Amino acid sequence: MKKILLLNLCLLLVATTQLFAQNHTVTGKVTAKEDGLPLPGVSVSIKGTTNGTQTSVDGKYSLNVPDGAQLSFSFLGYTQQTLTVNGNTLNVVLVANSQQLGEVVVTGALGLTRTRNQQSYAAQQVNGDEVSKQRSNNFINGLSGKVSGLEIRQNNALGGSTNVVLRGYKSITGNNQALFVIDGVPIGNTNTNGSDQQQGGGGYDYGSPASDINPDDIENVTILKGAGATALYGSRGSNGVILITTKKAKKGLGITINSTVSVGSIDKSTFPQYQKQYGAGYGGTFYPANIFGNPNALVVQTDADASNGPAFNPGLNVYQWDAFDPTSPNYGKATPWVAAKNDPTTFFVKPVSTNNSIMITNGGDNGTFKLGYTKSIENGVIPNSKLDKNLVDFAATYNITPKLTVGASINFYNTNGTGRGGTGYDNGNGDNRNVMTSFRQWWENNVDVQEQKAAYERTKSNVSWNMSDPIGGTTFPAYWNNPYWVVDHNYETDTRNRYLGNINLNYKVTSWLNISGKASLDTYSELDEERYDVGSIGVPYYSRYNHNYSETNFDLLANVNKNISKDFNLKALLGTNIRKNDENSILASTNGGLIIPGLYALSNTLNAPLSPTEADMRSEVNGIFAGATLTWKNMLTLDGTIRRDQSSTLPSANNKYYYPSVSGGFIFSELLKQYTWLSYGKIRASFAKVGSDAPIYSVNDTYTIVPPFGANPQAILNTTKNNLDLKPEQTKSKEVGLELAFFNNRLGFDASYYVTDTYDEILPVNISGATGYSREFLNAGSVQNKGFELSLNGSPIRTTNFNWKINVNFSRNRNEVTSLYKDATGQEAQNLQLGSFQNGETLNAPLHGSLGTIRGTDYIYTNGQPTVGPDGQYLITATSNNNIGNTNPDWTGGINNSFTYKHFNLSFLIDIRHGGSVFSNDLAYGLADGIYPLTAYTNDLGNPVRSPVTDDSKSGGFIRPGVTADGKPNTVRVPGGPYGSFGDGTGIIPLKAFVYDASYIKLREAIIGYTLPDGALGKLGPVKEVTFQLIGRNLWIIHKNLPYADPEEGLSSGNLQGIQEGAYPTVRTISFNLKLRF
Amino acid sequence: MKKLTFIFAALMVLSACKKDLTSLNVDPKNPAAVPSYALFTEAERLLTNTVTSSSVNLNIFRLIEQQWTETQYLNETQYQFTYRKQPDGIWTALYTNTLSNFQKAKQAIPVDVKDAVTQKNEIAIADILQVYTYYYLVTSFGNIPYTEALDITKPFPKYDDAKTIYAALLTRLDTDIAALDVSGASYGAADLVYAGDVAKWKIFANSFKLKMGMTIADSDNATAKATVEAAVKAGVFASNSDNAVLQYVSTPPNTNPIWVDLIQSQRHDFVATSQFMSLLHPGTATQDPRLPYYFAPSIRNSTYVGADNGSGDGTLAFALYSMPSGPLLTPGSIGSLTNPDFPGVLLDYSEVAFNLAEAAQRGFNVGGTALTFYNAAVTASITYWGGSTTAASAYLAFPGNAYTTAAGSTNFNQIALQEYLALYNRGWDAWIVNRKLDYPKLLPPPNAFSDFPVRLTYPISEQNVNKPNYDKASAAIGGDLATTKLFFDTK
Repeated sequence: MKKILLLNLCLLLVATTQLFAQNHTVTGKVTAKEDGLPLPGVSVSIKGTTNGTQTSVDGKYSLNVPDGAQLSFSFLGYTQQTLTVNGNTLNVVLVANSQQLGEVVVTGALGLTRTRNQQSYAAQQVNGDEVSKQRSNNFINGLSGKVSGLEIRQNNALGGSTNVVLRGYKSITGNNQALFVIDGVPIGNTNTNGSDQQQGGGGYDYGSPASDINPDDIENVTILKGAGATALYGSRGSNGVILITTKKAKKGLGITINSTVSVGSIDKSTFPQYQKQYGAGYGGTFYPANIFGNPNALVVQTDADASNGPAFNPGLNVYQWDAFDPTSPNYGKATPWVAAKNDPTTFFVKPVSTNNSIMITNGGDNGTFKLGYTKSIENGVIPNSKLDKNLVDFAATYNITPKLTVGASINFYNTNGTGRGGTGYDNGNGDNRNVMTSFRQWWENNVDVQEQKAAYERTKSNVSWNMSDPIGGTTFPAYWNNPYWVVDHNYETDTRNRYLGNINLNYKVTSWLNISGKASLDTYSELDEERYDVGSIGVPYYSRYNHNYSETNFDLLANVNKNISKDFNLKALLGTNIRKNDENSILASTNGGLIIPGLYALSNTLNAPLSPTEADMRSEVNGIFAGATLTWKNMLTLDGTIRRDQSSTLPSANNKYYYPSVSGGFIFSELLKQYTWLSYGKIRASFAKVGSDAPIYSVNDTYTIVPPFGANPQAILNTTKNNLDLKPEQTKSKEVGLELAFFNNRLGFDASYYVTDTYDEILPVNISGATGYSREFLNAGSVQNKGFELSLNGSPIRTTNFNWKINVNFSRNRNEVTSLYKDATGQEAQNLQLGSFQNGETLNAPLHGSLGTIRGTDYIYTNGQPTVGPDGQYLITATSNNNIGNTNPDWTGGINNSFTYKHFNLSFLIDIRHGGSVFSNDLAYGLADGIYPLTAYTNDLGNPVRSPVTDDSKSGGFIRPGVTADGKPNTVRVPGGPYGSFGDGTGIIPLKAFVYDASYIKLREAIIGYTLPDGALGKLGPVKEVTFQLIGRNLWIIHKNLPYADPEEGLSSGNLQGIQEGAYPTVRTISFNLKLRF
Repeated sequence: MKKLTFIFAALMVLSACKKDLTSLNVDPKNPAAVPSYALFTEAERLLTNTVTSSSVNLNIFRLIEQQWTETQYLNETQYQFTYRKQPDGIWTALYTNTLSNFQKAKQAIPVDVKDAVTQKNEIAIADILQVYTYYYLVTSFGNIPYTEALDITKPFPKYDDAKTIYAALLTRLDTDIAALDVSGASYGAADLVYAGDVAKWKIFANSFKLKMGMTIADSDNATAKATVEAAVKAGVFASNSDNAVLQYVSTPPNTNPIWVDLIQSQRHDFVATSQFMSLLHPGTATQDPRLPYYFAPSIRNSTYVGADNGSGDGTLAFALYSMPSGPLLTPGSIGSLTNPDFPGVLLDYSEVAFNLAEAAQRGFNVGGTALTFYNAAVTASITYWGGSTTAASAYLAFPGNAYTTAAGSTNFNQIALQEYLALYNRGWDAWIVNRKLDYPKLLPPPNAFSDFPVRLTYPISEQNVNKPNYDKASAAIGGDLATTKLFFDTK
């Protein structure tokens, strides 16, 4: 069947190609009048037909035309020209027309287009090339730093999820992720990461489903930031919408091939450095023993997963873990007590990845079609990790009559992950699936990772450095498996097959009325399998999670576009939307262990398996909406929408809700035409309200059936109390904006100020556990986000051979929880806890504080300085509800520069985040454990800090910065040797000490490209473009304040950000790409 | 155009008022109601899990009581409760998991159970176990939410005075005892402790009343005396066959939590303290017959040896010390403490007899002498753990153990010492008794965070969620500190 399909496609291709091969070829060059520079991307079309082409980078075009045809040349910001072909060459000079900038067509909500003049809300467009040029197979990463108001956080684990938030966190516990809409089809982007995983409790980051989308199929991305722009999307639009328009077929056959090879490596500034003075132990000694015929043997504290042990001494021979591995050359031998030659940095590999794509488009009078295929194989820096994607895009339109067009598209995305790195800190089962946790938090600096590798390869068993009692014969690990065993035996695999498609029909009733209908579907099924083999510490298991997701939308839309009078234009719409979501899953697992090692099947269970956990969630929202845009003289625009939704997740009494939006724009430059330096000027304002429904199943109370005790059934009340009286939550958003362009659009400027109030939020409010519940769903909180966004673009230099373009984005958002729940007596909740982490730190939404406030123990301050007690140790709060950090940045920004010199181009993006906090549990533990150089320095007296504290100049130890209770500087020296001296293990340092500034400046991407000149192209037959590119991603963290890690790294996408637990290093990628266009 | 209007109108009607959308909002996989007995069984199991557990995140009282110590990561041994948030864990386990499910069971019983006597019995038994649960909360934290607890209309309940709650619990227990009709039935097999035997529950309730009475013997002698004497008169445990135990099963998830904590997780953090070990006289003629059931010989040297509490800066090699016994943990050990099906204990005869001995010593009329109850208590403990009555007699014959001849200590101390040994696997109760009788003296380990803790600090979640009431409660008890003495702990 597949073959036949392919054959048909080929035939179709040949046929369509032949259709247009006619007449003679005309070539020419299009230049701009004001500077004589070539204009790339100018549309050239044969008048009276839909055939045409675009000019190349050097302004040249080539087109087959019938004799005597007329060609139309149109380009944004320039007056259109129509000329008759006379001969084989036709050069054109276009005249800039600043007025036309306002005619730029911008795609808005529901794919409706408005000209820039008519658009009175903030929207920013990113070209598809900008998104895909960095050749990451997650297109979301390509938006980082390119859009103001958009905060993107990438997690570094292979295929890790990406957090995408527009204009701040609005919902305290609900979804804050922007909605992705691809060609009008909203797509599911909820990750399947469990709540344990998100709170650092171990698990895998299965990534963001939106990353399935093929970057090479993206024509452009429009970011609708505020509710004014997105109100028509209903509740889901309240977090902003990222509209993706896929490539559309142009007239004539077009084939584009991209082939990329990448090499990855870790950025060492984001991985620990290891001190080289002290080895394994929680104290200063070896274990004395009588082994291997040596009555005075000294044995390393292999069971101590720390480096607070004895100082290295090359002259001292001790028995290390390999002395107890019978297959080791060092078996039974004492070896010199020295720092490892190969520290965990050498665990990482430098993987080679490939990405190949082909996109074929064709269009004629009767329709268009598009077919694309991308195959990418991304190998991770952790051994045995891989992400394999197959993406197929197909779309076609057919004009049944000149008035009636039908179209359909189907995209198939297949994603296969193997060995995505475990995240966080496994504490339930002692799993340690995340080798980073050990490398960063619990490590012995005498352990040579390459010897661990050799031991694993020799034995194929779990020979760990962390043997629990080798002297007594127990070589089984105490806490940590051999890392090579982990990646080979305890890995996950996942696969997702996704279909995304729609059928649509468009009927042009009259010149001013258009009716369109669409049925669209996004559905995927995924299977996540996790393994934990026999021979690992903890309980071996196999689990599988089958998850099916689908969203179906039915849309019907009537569109009016009519000039009511010479000066008035009316655009109006009336529509309905029916959205159905259906999500179901089964999680099944073995119970109590595996019988046969290495067999990962549910039947391979040691004890009778327990019932799988099932979920079945169906919901439906029915909406009707209307809108109108009234424009006067292309100068004043008034826009209004109203939508009514009815949602199944709300109680029937409150499930219908209306919400309006109004916005207006004034293009004042129309009145200032005498100032030629002002190309464009507009002010705009909008107000919008959006209603939102409840999380599924938050209305009716249910119980959970738990496994029976023998023959006795057991059930338990859910600890979250549901609520029969929930109302829709509301978001009110106000926005003003100013758009300016100067000097023939050489300099442009777009600024917005917005205030968004979300109220009646439906929250699982933390209530006292003494109620018998830990949470109750209530219409409780309000959150305000206020912010300022600025985009600047300019072309400082524009000459014949050299071009420099710069684009700057700046965003600043302030977030405040303005109210929380009040009980009947008027007592208001003071805080909502969002997440609780390994070390007692919590993420919170405190009243009048920010969403994402880190709380924990703090210093006790005297005159603003930490106070120390008489023993020289810090005084610490007894309470843990102190605000010790805020994970929201002060501002973020991006600077994108692009230079073109003849056929070369260079571009680079600098991504900046200023302020905000990150809590590092990696440092809290790793500093306690003595892993880092920060724990083994030379003190102010010139002595090793870990040497004993004495009262002379030979003293080790250090003086904690701070003051005594009476405000005098601390002078008491404390020891630096014991476990917990520098970190949090023994509780002598407050959690506040591990809150770091999360600022960074990153060279996010840099690209050097070379496009073959026309002269060379001529020899290549049908090839229209050949481009070579060298691409670097995550090249350099120019500045950061968090040692040994990437401040951007987190555990999962979602509302819990800014906590590091077993963080992955940043992966630096260098790619070579070859692009061929036919 | 007309046609179009019609289509639109039809669609809007369709989307606006078709089938009742809210039917979609009924979770097809989780029930809105469950049988009362399923809730009772689960609550009973969770309660037993909580008092039995050895999790460092929950039940750390074996460490507080210095029966065990940690080899690495000494936070719990050093009385640090904010690190692993045990107060939060206990609060959730007792209020949210236990009390609320008993409450829901009580509400569902009148719906499910037709027979009036059975209904009444079942409600009383669930209530007895709620009193039991509150006992641990009030003796651990002091003032706690009680009158406004378990009421969803009061999401931020006020805290009540601990002593007042205690009196209310005693009254409630009396009401429950009066409500029990021994001629009737109750839960049957769904009751994992007594299989629904109402008579046994009645004796249990009175035995627990005795225990509650004795807990306040120092602080309120008159109430203690009246309570204890009434309980004894009504009938309390007379042998180990009365013990309230939950027999766990050998396969997960309904196993003994100690097995989960120590065996399934493959950790070996806990070893005997040298202090506790020395009280068991290992390797001497007076060796405690319970020793092999309590601890295993050390892996490395096959001897019974404890580590100094909180010693070693976290560098103790566990293999050099005795770990809790159990064939699964250490080959050759006799006990079964760490077996998955080792039973969990809610109340046992040994404890009852120690309370009776102490009551008699205080001059309460409990129908026997301190000596006989003391001997019965020690014997019950030894035989419960697997020792013979002969071994128990021999043990009691040693001058250091015999009630009348124990040298260098008062009789209360002798009771306290033996009760401390008998409550080996029940650290929480050992802690309550130890705070009342103040013997044996337990001192903070090196680098402790506070003096010996005499209460649990309030949960971090209460500080964050219920702050005004938390603040009031903290002030009322004299500060939210581990060293703030509670109402029953007067010395």
